[in-house]
Amino acid sequence: MTPAVELCGVTKSFQQLKAVNDLSLTVPEGSIYGFIGPNGSGKTTTLRMIMNIFYPDSGSIRVLGRENGGPCMEQVGYLPEERGLYKKMKVGEILEFYGNLKRAQNVRAEMKSWLKRFELSSWADKKVETLSKGMSQKVQFISAVIFRPRLLILDEPFSGLDPVNAEGIKSAILDLRSQGVTVILSTHDMSVAETLCDYIFMIFRGRKVLDGTLHSIQDQYGDDTVRVQVDGGKAAIPDLDVIEGINDYGQVQEIHLKRGGDPQIILKALLDRTRVRSFELTRPSLHDIFLRIAGPQAKENHHA
Amino acid sequence: MRKIWIVARREYLAAVKTKGFLIGLIIAPLMMSGGIIAIATLRDQVDTKDKKIAIVDHTGKVADALLAGAAERNAREVYDETNKKKKINPAYLLEKINPETGSADRQYLALSDRVRQGDLHAFLVIGPEVFHPVKDKPEGNVSYHAKNPGLDDIRRWLGNPVNDQIRRVRLAEVGIDATQVKDLFQWRPIDGMGLVELNPKDGTIRKAEPRGELTAIGLPMAVMFLSFLLLMMGASPLLNAVMEEKNQRIAEVVLGSLRPFEWMMGKVAGAIGVSLTGMAVYLSLGFSALSNMGTALDVPTFLVPWILVYLVLNICMFGSIMASLGSLCNDIKDAQNLTLPGILPAIIPMFIWLPVVKQPLSTFATVASLIPFFTPILMPLRMSTMESIPAWQPWVGLAGVIAATLGVVWVGARIFRIGILAQGKIPSFPELVRWIARG
Repeated sequence: MTPAVELCGVTKSFQQLKAVNDLSLTVPEGSIYGFIGPNGSGKTTTLRMIMNIFYPDSGSIRVLGRENGGPCMEQVGYLPEERGLYKKMKVGEILEFYGNLKRAQNVRAEMKSWLKRFELSSWADKKVETLSKGMSQKVQFISAVIFRPRLLILDEPFSGLDPVNAEGIKSAILDLRSQGVTVILSTHDMSVAETLCDYIFMIFRGRKVLDGTLHSIQDQYGDDTVRVQVDGGKAAIPDLDVIEGINDYGQVQEIHLKRGGDPQIILKALLDRTRVRSFELTRPSLHDIFLRIAGPQAKENHHA
Repeated sequence: MRKIWIVARREYLAAVKTKGFLIGLIIAPLMMSGGIIAIATLRDQVDTKDKKIAIVDHTGKVADALLAGAAERNAREVYDETNKKKKINPAYLLEKINPETGSADRQYLALSDRVRQGDLHAFLVIGPEVFHPVKDKPEGNVSYHAKNPGLDDIRRWLGNPVNDQIRRVRLAEVGIDATQVKDLFQWRPIDGMGLVELNPKDGTIRKAEPRGELTAIGLPMAVMFLSFLLLMMGASPLLNAVMEEKNQRIAEVVLGSLRPFEWMMGKVAGAIGVSLTGMAVYLSLGFSALSNMGTALDVPTFLVPWILVYLVLNICMFGSIMASLGSLCNDIKDAQNLTLPGILPAIIPMFIWLPVVKQPLSTFATVASLIPFFTPILMPLRMSTMESIPAWQPWVGLAGVIAATLGVVWVGARIFRIGILAQGKIPSFPELVRWIARG
């Protein structure tokens, strides 16, 4: 099966800044691919290059089996991070406009079913400027999917949504995937990446630092994490040689062990000092991995 | 092409459906013709207060004739002919004042003070040597002193009786009694007429028709203002529209569906639609108004396709300029700064149209009308005059405009493509050149 998207040695610079540096990536058809990475690391630039809005300085991009651009783009839906709608247009008109631009079949029927799904049916004849923020986000999502794309690219689809609306979008994404649509989404929400995405790709300073399933990524790091709940929280955890770092979530602390460090030493030390309510030997969370790569400590290492 | 059409349709409806468009459709021609209407109304709103004018006649032979002339005029023109009680014009009340030869300047100062106090409207000084003036000697002058003498109707009126009297005196000096020559002072205007034409079908000769100022200036002016107005109506809103799309983050959503070039051309096509709508409205209004007035303004039919083609190309050109400038703007302030440079090339013809109309065959007019940015306005302007300009010129102008349009669209599309997603300050000129070069 040809991959939905294939990037090969792609580089893009803006003046002195290398936004994306020698990036290769293969997105299998029918998967949900999550892009993570700190702000300004190159996620949006990569998505824009896949959308043929930016052209790479070097390297090649194939979308749905074809060199970039041209008629295959008619099958790609795009929800950019920076998004707006024509305020003076009616919801129905704007959806029809985007649908027609992509050669949608049965725009009206599609529109009707999507508006119904998002409980917006009564808003079709209202002007966009009367919509709430959540509603207009949903309208924007519909505009990206109304023409039944084969590939859907969503830049931060959940930002600014309340849990109910986020759930609605999430279930729509899963439904599309089950119909065979490939979805690429970028997110800052690690739990979304962990639970929704088949593959996770992390970009940092323009370079690929993680790429694979959650399991394969966690395998790289091994069972080097101890998740504890103790009376006294982080302050109660002693300073031991085997500890590389502590990620404090408040009620829960994740202890990152040094390579070959024995968790038993920590358990013993904790029992000596406080009451241990839970002690779990586990793999690092995506959040933890993200911080190890891009957090303040990592930055110090990088500069050193 | 299909996408350009979809965008054009949206842009057209978005522009035409607004109240602003309807208001603009009505207000713009009112403002343009407002000057003419204002002058016409003000001319009817004459100040009917009587005007007192002092005459200082150093010859002693002119003032009485002026008094007689004023009395005749007052009897004829001050009151409405049918309604004798309705005053429609001021009476001119002339007052003869003996010159004080020793202290003329003092006398003029006193008269000037009377004018300043509102006691007099003006005073006229007739020099002693007015019948046989010598060059560079002020004694032969006639001068009219008032607060605002330049635009004074009375000064213009006085010209005739003063000169009639001067001639009468000169005739008398050689022994001719002016009253013996009937029509001595009857002035004949020269009528402007077109050329006589031969009808090739029946061999008859068609008489020349009067061609006054209205046909000489009126038609070219109407053609030019219409072209300019329609250009502004279609092209100039693109700058703000694009700026808003960029500002409100609509741009990237749209760019997910089409190429920047298609988007820009769709916008330009929408602008052409807006202009043609305006043109249809104005032309039908204009023609119905003219036929109601019974004035058949003789619009040469060959001109209409030229005006149309030039207008469409002009909108392509300026629409691309405005759209690409709009893509550089982040806020209203940027847009305001860039609007004038954008439309300046379209405004320049408005400053030079008069010499072009007066002498459409001059080198100046020819060269100016072959500069592609000016051609769409100036070439139809020249073609609508009575002169027949060389047949090659509209075609060469057209070729120039097509070439310029392609160039401007190409450059505009490159700027638009990068500008529409670029954030931050307006790029410097060298940066712009780099954008254009790199694509």
